[in-house]
Amino acid sequence: MLAKRVFFNKYSIGTKITMALGICIVYGVFLYTQGANPFLIYYEMFQATFGNVYGIGEVAIKATPFILTALAVAIPARVGLISVGGEGQLACGALSSTFAAVYIFKDMPSFIGIPMLLLAGALGGALWAVVPGILKIVARVNETITTLLLNYVAFFLVGYFIYGILKSPDAYGWPFSPRFSDSLRLPTLEGTRIHIGILIAVAVAIIVWYVTMYTHLGFRMRVVGGNVKAAKHSGIIVERMQFVTLIVGGAVGGLAGVIEVSGIEGHLRPMTGVGYGYMGFLVAWMAGNHPLLIIPFAILLAAISVGGNALEMHSGLNSSIVLILMGFILIVILAIGKRGGK
Amino acid sequence: MRNALKLNTTVGDTVKNESMTTPLLEARGITIRFGDLVANDKVNISVKAGQIHAILGENGAGKSTLMKILYGVYKQDEGTTFVAGEPATLHPPARAKSYGIGMVFQDFRLVPALTVLENIVLAMPRLGFWLNRKNLHDQILETAARYHIMVDPDAYIWQLDLGQRQRVEIIKVLIACDTRVIIFDEPTSVLTPQEVESFLAMLKKLRTGGYGILLITHKIGEVINCADYVTVLREGRVTYHAGRKNGFKENELVKQMIGEKEISTVNKTKGRDSKKIVLRVENFTVKCDKGRKILQEINFTLKSGEITGIAGISGNGQRELVEALFGLRTPVSGNIFLENINLVGSHPKKFLESGIVYVPEDLIDEQVVPGLSILEHMILGGIPVTSKRFNVDWRKAHFDMVGLEEVQRLGVASPERRVDQLSGGNVQRMVLARAMARIPKVLLVSYPSKGLDIFTVRTVHGMLFSLKEKGVAILVISEDLTELFSLSDTLIVLANQRVHGPHDPDETHPHAIGQIMLKGGEE
Repeated sequence: MLAKRVFFNKYSIGTKITMALGICIVYGVFLYTQGANPFLIYYEMFQATFGNVYGIGEVAIKATPFILTALAVAIPARVGLISVGGEGQLACGALSSTFAAVYIFKDMPSFIGIPMLLLAGALGGALWAVVPGILKIVARVNETITTLLLNYVAFFLVGYFIYGILKSPDAYGWPFSPRFSDSLRLPTLEGTRIHIGILIAVAVAIIVWYVTMYTHLGFRMRVVGGNVKAAKHSGIIVERMQFVTLIVGGAVGGLAGVIEVSGIEGHLRPMTGVGYGYMGFLVAWMAGNHPLLIIPFAILLAAISVGGNALEMHSGLNSSIVLILMGFILIVILAIGKRGGK
Repeated sequence: MRNALKLNTTVGDTVKNESMTTPLLEARGITIRFGDLVANDKVNISVKAGQIHAILGENGAGKSTLMKILYGVYKQDEGTTFVAGEPATLHPPARAKSYGIGMVFQDFRLVPALTVLENIVLAMPRLGFWLNRKNLHDQILETAARYHIMVDPDAYIWQLDLGQRQRVEIIKVLIACDTRVIIFDEPTSVLTPQEVESFLAMLKKLRTGGYGILLITHKIGEVINCADYVTVLREGRVTYHAGRKNGFKENELVKQMIGEKEISTVNKTKGRDSKKIVLRVENFTVKCDKGRKILQEINFTLKSGEITGIAGISGNGQRELVEALFGLRTPVSGNIFLENINLVGSHPKKFLESGIVYVPEDLIDEQVVPGLSILEHMILGGIPVTSKRFNVDWRKAHFDMVGLEEVQRLGVASPERRVDQLSGGNVQRMVLARAMARIPKVLLVSYPSKGLDIFTVRTVHGMLFSLKEKGVAILVISEDLTELFSLSDTLIVLANQRVHGPHDPDETHPHAIGQIMLKGGEE
């Protein structure tokens, strides 16, 4: 069909799999130089992630924020904007939903409280995206730079409240927010930590995919992303489109924040979700900003993160050694993406 | 041969006599092809010391290509170049430079973040490790004083306007002590009329200083003002060559530039009699991208059922004018009334909805969305969109498009083809079909026949005539006078920031319009 089209994908999925295998081999050689048996480590990593229900659950939990922060990158990318703001949007979504949970919806039943909480988080993320949006439209400031810088501001903003008015009196002096009431925690699968967040993330990905691929709005977004001048000539108000897309991306990034606090931690800490935004950017790049491809790539990176723990347990190597693997993947993608670019 | 040139550099009167007879730079039988296009066809040209040789021609006549060969940017396919009477290869530019050839380009090659002095240093190859700023400073001021060029060595390039930047470029060429021949590529196109005067005065001083000067231009006034020789190029060939002794005749030069093109008015139909004004432009002032006012306080009207042609050498505000008429560029001042509604300040969306359609000059840059098909392009400001469950009803759009008379007559490629893979001519067909299918109130078309074969050009003209009969007000921009004369009911000329006209093409000779284009209407 006409609307069925790959996004900025310059490489077939086959090529991407070959690339991934190549990375595994090179990383295996690296592990070998560190005195470890790469085959054993890959096996253990696989066992720890997809080998049992617990592992799969951990991967799903980890993949949830990655999917959402990746979508926060992919949505603006449709209109040609490069947003790196997932990190800050996540933090602000977490912060605003914590405020809502602590001060407003505390005693609400789940069926109202949780949707309201999600809304509050999305609103927080969206508001955080308003700043780069306005700067982009009014002063033509590059959105990549503003979103990136605002990530740091968001981090300290969370710290400011956690050490200030949001600090729980019951946390023995730790910088934690008060715990969410049980009615405001995302429902989990019986006996596991898996919560409905993964369903929300997948649902959002499907909605984004449908809207961008099969609607008139999505078509016009594609025109703006493809050629701003052509879009203007055909009567599309480019600035408005870019602004709204940044905001929607921010809202999705904010959702990642709510799900993290309400689904996993139950309270906000200064380090809640730190690094997930950048991970999402990596995922979006790997998936070529395709909303559905984002899901498997998010799962892949989540698996590598979870597998890192297994690596530490079985090889005695530090778990942070998987960061080398991720960095390696990023570099390969950036290098090849650059070469294939315009 | 390089030594011979060095000798010349020590400008002594005895040597000067000799160099009056031997050209500093000469090219014989230069031919260069770009694909099928023969940009230069057996061109001969030469310049002697103390001589200004003007090269005149329309856009695309091959002037710049020829100069780029002489400066070593391109390598000719056939022909020989001579420096001081001996054969010499000029490619690449570094070699041309070592032979004493300097060029002042249209687009300046300066680093905005550096000062004038630093930019000049960049152009000097043999400087040694240490930079003697004091010495250089004096050298620049001395050179500048000799030729009355005002320049501040310590100013930053970004602080300078275009005229000042051009002077820096000139100093750059002069200060390289080997320079004997200077090529100027349309130097006055960036200058204001006052600056042009002082520029021409400077050229004459350079001539007195013993430089050989090649001046590319399409302004006849400059040629008459200062040139010793003139060579006219048309479609890559030398069509005329004359010296001042023989006297330059303006009419002759215009005729040689434009050629004896057949001006046919066969197909032209007179529009309706009840011509009501559709679009009125009042006291319109527009700036170009560089921030210079390119059109000032202009007034004109477009009438329904009438084709208005805009003539003018490109870069005289054509693009800026149509962009402003479509809301893509906000004018500095003035009004656009479409049937008494002032559209100034509105988004192009409003212009489109009000019934103005615009076909720009650079379609690839401004109309083509990479990856999208022809059908997808057709609904962009073209075929009205029907919605079907949030989406465009593509099936209906496909049906509508294939059924369009314009699409059939222009032979637009099949709806599924990707536009970014089409040739320029095919993109042009698509964009024209889309624009005409709307049957707008006002149609703005830049260069309607660009990239099209003769047959399609005729079709396009025929369709413009039938749109005219339907009462559309049409504005056509073109540099091709033949096309303008055969299409237009009235003609206006853009030159020197003003609108000249309207002229009636049936009662005006193309050469008269050519004169206004070239001379800016000092009739």
